[in-house]
Amino acid sequence: MTASRLRLVVAAVLTVAVVLVVGVAIGRLTSPTPVVPGTDSVEAGFSRDMQVHHEQAVEMSMTVRDLTDDPAVRTMAYDIATAQAQQAGQMYAWLQVWGVPQAPSEPSMTWMTRPTLDAAFAGHDHEATGEPAGGASTAPTHRPGDPMPGLASADDLRRLAALDGVEAERLWLELMIAHHQGGVEMAEAVLARSRDREVLAFATGVVTTQESEITAMEQMLADRR
Amino acid sequence: MAEPDRPRPTTPGKGGTQGPSVKQQRDARRQAKLAALKREQARSKRNRVIGITTAAVAGVAVLGLVVTFVVTSGQPRQDPASIDVAGVQTFSDLTANHVTGTVDYEQTPPVGGDHAAVWMNCGVYSEPVPDENAVHDLEHGAVWFTYDPDQVTEQQIDDLRALAPDTYSVVSPYPGMETPMAVSAWGAQLTFDEVDDPAVADFVTKYWKSTNAPEPGAACTGGIDGPGRLS
Repeated sequence: MTASRLRLVVAAVLTVAVVLVVGVAIGRLTSPTPVVPGTDSVEAGFSRDMQVHHEQAVEMSMTVRDLTDDPAVRTMAYDIATAQAQQAGQMYAWLQVWGVPQAPSEPSMTWMTRPTLDAAFAGHDHEATGEPAGGASTAPTHRPGDPMPGLASADDLRRLAALDGVEAERLWLELMIAHHQGGVEMAEAVLARSRDREVLAFATGVVTTQESEITAMEQMLADRR
Repeated sequence: MAEPDRPRPTTPGKGGTQGPSVKQQRDARRQAKLAALKREQARSKRNRVIGITTAAVAGVAVLGLVVTFVVTSGQPRQDPASIDVAGVQTFSDLTANHVTGTVDYEQTPPVGGDHAAVWMNCGVYSEPVPDENAVHDLEHGAVWFTYDPDQVTEQQIDDLRALAPDTYSVVSPYPGMETPMAVSAWGAQLTFDEVDDPAVADFVTKYWKSTNAPEPGAACTGGIDGPGRLS
């Protein structure tokens, strides 16, 4: 092989490689399908923590159904247990499809300490408008490793299991209201930090239904005082 | 001053009688060689243009194929959000509180809003079901087929029941509706006259258990049965 032919072959191979790389890059950049969330993403953190959170709601709701015959409480508990078990399955499946481990890559609640999308934009706004930097949205109210908001303690669960009748209903309602309030807080936290279509639709639904259930359970609790 | 007898070196007469001179032969050979060289250069230039053009076209084609492959291979085959249901009406900002008693819904049949604490068990009913319970099913991602018994035939009722999905679907009569039939999901409704209207199938594809509902996939069983439950 002559030197000029060798040069030609090398040039051809390099050209093909460049064309392939450019093609993949342009394809990726113009593709309407977003790159899936990674293991340290807000979406993955939410999906792992919220599964734990939902699983406790299922546990408490199944428990109270065994402790009371009251139809209103048993219906609400059925609604919550089946809905949240199904939702935990959705989040489990996201992690599988995203190709990231179910096991956390960071301490729980780390994702909630990340800046919100608004805060990222606010950084630019403040230079232009002269408004003070940082607000409630940028100041992290959680630290990595903190317990999730609204989670019941092991002691709470033991106390619940030891009660029955209206006393069990009351404690379950108190625990469940706090639990839902925490769930809404987590859903709103991911709404402020994610652009993932599925996660946003899911979190929007969680806020809507859990807020309505909080209102309903507060009334149920008042009826049992 | 003319010197007629002195032959001029370049007179054609000489060549005519004696053939081309050595110099002329040399010139001709040079011309021929030059022409051949020019042809050769032209051919090589043409070949180079063809080669470069072919390579460029092939390169662009490969680039296009790779881009197309990457773009299309990453897309879902059918994104529900991209389905256009002809004639569908959509509604937003629906509240979802649990309430007791009756609710005055803005749409007939309702497409969402406040609802009873307990939901209807999904299935086929021969009697009307309460709005407040059925709306809870919509919240859980079910679709609700309704028909006005005075505006449809028995055959259409049978066809509608056959068309409805086996789960996460309620089929019930709704006397007094404006149109013969309707299918509703949380925040969406399609009214129709014929069961085989393709928009009906599109509606089910787009909205059945869709994330438009606040709690898609929550239970559609374990609630209450109404009178006239057939399946």
